[in-house]
Amino acid sequence: MKTNLYLAWSSDRKIQETGNSGGAVTALLKFALEHKKVDAVLAVKKRNNSRFDAVPTLITDPGLIHETAGTLHFAPVSMVKIVKNYLDGARNMKIAVTCKPCDARAIIELAKRKQIQLENLFLIGLNCSGTFLPTVAEQMISEAYGENPQDLVKEEVDNGKLIITLKDGSTREKDLEELAQKGFEMRENCLRCSYKIPRMADIACGKWGNSGKEATFIEICSPKGHEFLDAAAENGALVMEAATSEQIEERKQEETAAVENAQAREQKELDVLKNYSPDERLKFWSSHLQRCIKCFGCRDACPLCYCKDCYLEPYRGCVAGGETPPDIMFQLIRLSHVADSCVNCGQCQDVCPMEIPLTRLYNCLNRELVRIFDYQPGVDVNQYPPLTIVTDQELFIDAPDIINITSAAE
Amino acid sequence: MSNSFEPKILAFLCNWCSYAGADLAGVSRMQYPPNIRVVRFMCTGRIDPLFILKALTSGVDGVIIAGCHPSECHYGKGNLYTRRRILMTKKLLECIGIDPARLRLEWVAASEGPKFAQVIRDFTEETKKLGLNPLEALTRGEGIK
Ligand code: SF4
Ligand code: SF4
Ligand code: SF4
Ligand code: FES
Repeated sequence: MKTNLYLAWSSDRKIQETGNSGGAVTALLKFALEHKKVDAVLAVKKRNNSRFDAVPTLITDPGLIHETAGTLHFAPVSMVKIVKNYLDGARNMKIAVTCKPCDARAIIELAKRKQIQLENLFLIGLNCSGTFLPTVAEQMISEAYGENPQDLVKEEVDNGKLIITLKDGSTREKDLEELAQKGFEMRENCLRCSYKIPRMADIACGKWGNSGKEATFIEICSPKGHEFLDAAAENGALVMEAATSEQIEERKQEETAAVENAQAREQKELDVLKNYSPDERLKFWSSHLQRCIKCFGCRDACPLCYCKDCYLEPYRGCVAGGETPPDIMFQLIRLSHVADSCVNCGQCQDVCPMEIPLTRLYNCLNRELVRIFDYQPGVDVNQYPPLTIVTDQELFIDAPDIINITSAAE
Repeated sequence: MSNSFEPKILAFLCNWCSYAGADLAGVSRMQYPPNIRVVRFMCTGRIDPLFILKALTSGVDGVIIAGCHPSECHYGKGNLYTRRRILMTKKLLECIGIDPARLRLEWVAASEGPKFAQVIRDFTEETKKLGLNPLEALTRGEGIK
């Protein structure tokens, strides 16, 4: 049987040096463009050479791919709305997109809703152990590490540590836990996220399991993924070797540890809310939501909020215009519209100028809905959102609060 | 909350079954509390969760939805979609701290006049126990006590 687990690296010495982990992703992107496998590459690059400011960039010239080399942990950008809004949902173009697990999942959710043409995309998933907000990261580098943020040339998360590399080549490392105690934490949605390896993408790439080598561990997750990698290997752009059982085991252990960590975090954080009395919970949320200045940022940033005719607009008659804070309906509408499919990407919370913990609200409800409807958002393009389908089996269930045997709502 | 509290209840009824059921209860002179105001829908499938949320944020203390039994919806599966939506909406209410018991879905056929009266009696009792809907004070801008 053909394996789908490989170690891969670029055959080009220069790419090896600029990219992370042997530059496999950079090499693959370059190959895809050079050999017209795709019309364009959508990836992230630094703006003004800052590791705290990244922008999505569309590249058609293979000579510019190097600009996107390396991973950025301090500049979380979402690729999803770019594809949907500015690239016509990939209707007219074949695009290779590098994506974090939450990007890949949101893309799949939009594909289900016919907003993105998945066949035209090649999703290059990047394992993700979490990201920091740029502001938090900058302050952390200067205060916790005592270094000038501008001297940073690389950062990586490994074994519960954040390791930074400076201009002079030296490295510093600190425990994430210790950093958290000083108030420097990843985005809270990342801390709760248990999708560390994006298996819903065509390939999932990362350093887990590379046994310290300058190589990328790649899991091929679709026929399209196989096709691409076979072509790149045949062409010689990519050197691939099947992963050994030790490497596979090593990766599995890293993943399991990270996932368990995230699950524990989620449980802990959401349990706090669950253990509140209903009145306390209402108080908690209303005191947060009362800060809302109705900037519409959360809606505009959310990959799932794509409606042309949004219910939050005053002319729809649900939320009065010209009032801040808006009626609580404002957030309830968004919550009821996206909670079943929320991919916990954090975009809404990142843009909220009033620092309302929006993802916690969505996560709370989403976790319940996942259980009731057995629906994992953004994993399988053929599994439709639970509020848009019913099954024939449900015709024969009489209870008004049950849709299948396992879903008994208490 | 004293027993004198009279909850305001909205009843969303399907034209083909529960609305007729309510009619039957009426012409049969069955007693049920006068707390409900009825909104007639051509099918429960037309009920957007937003209608429920809008009602609950506009001073209504409870929302009851009654439709055709599964497999008896005039349009096939409208009531099944609604069942899923109500499950979601109940969880939503719970998440923000509103007792999901303020929302109820029931099946009442056109012939089930007595059931209709019973359902309304039960729901009114239950809503009475829950007291004033805290969302109302919130939307009036009075905050939560
Ligand atoms: S609600 Fe927030 S976390 Fe969920 S998908 Fe939208 S932007 Fe992402
Ligand atoms: S809030 Fe609802 S209507 Fe508005 S864009 Fe989001 S999903 Fe669409
Ligand atoms: S981003 Fe924050 S302040 Fe702006 S509308 Fe959304 S919740 Fe309100
Ligand atoms: S017609 Fe009565 S619920 Fe659909």
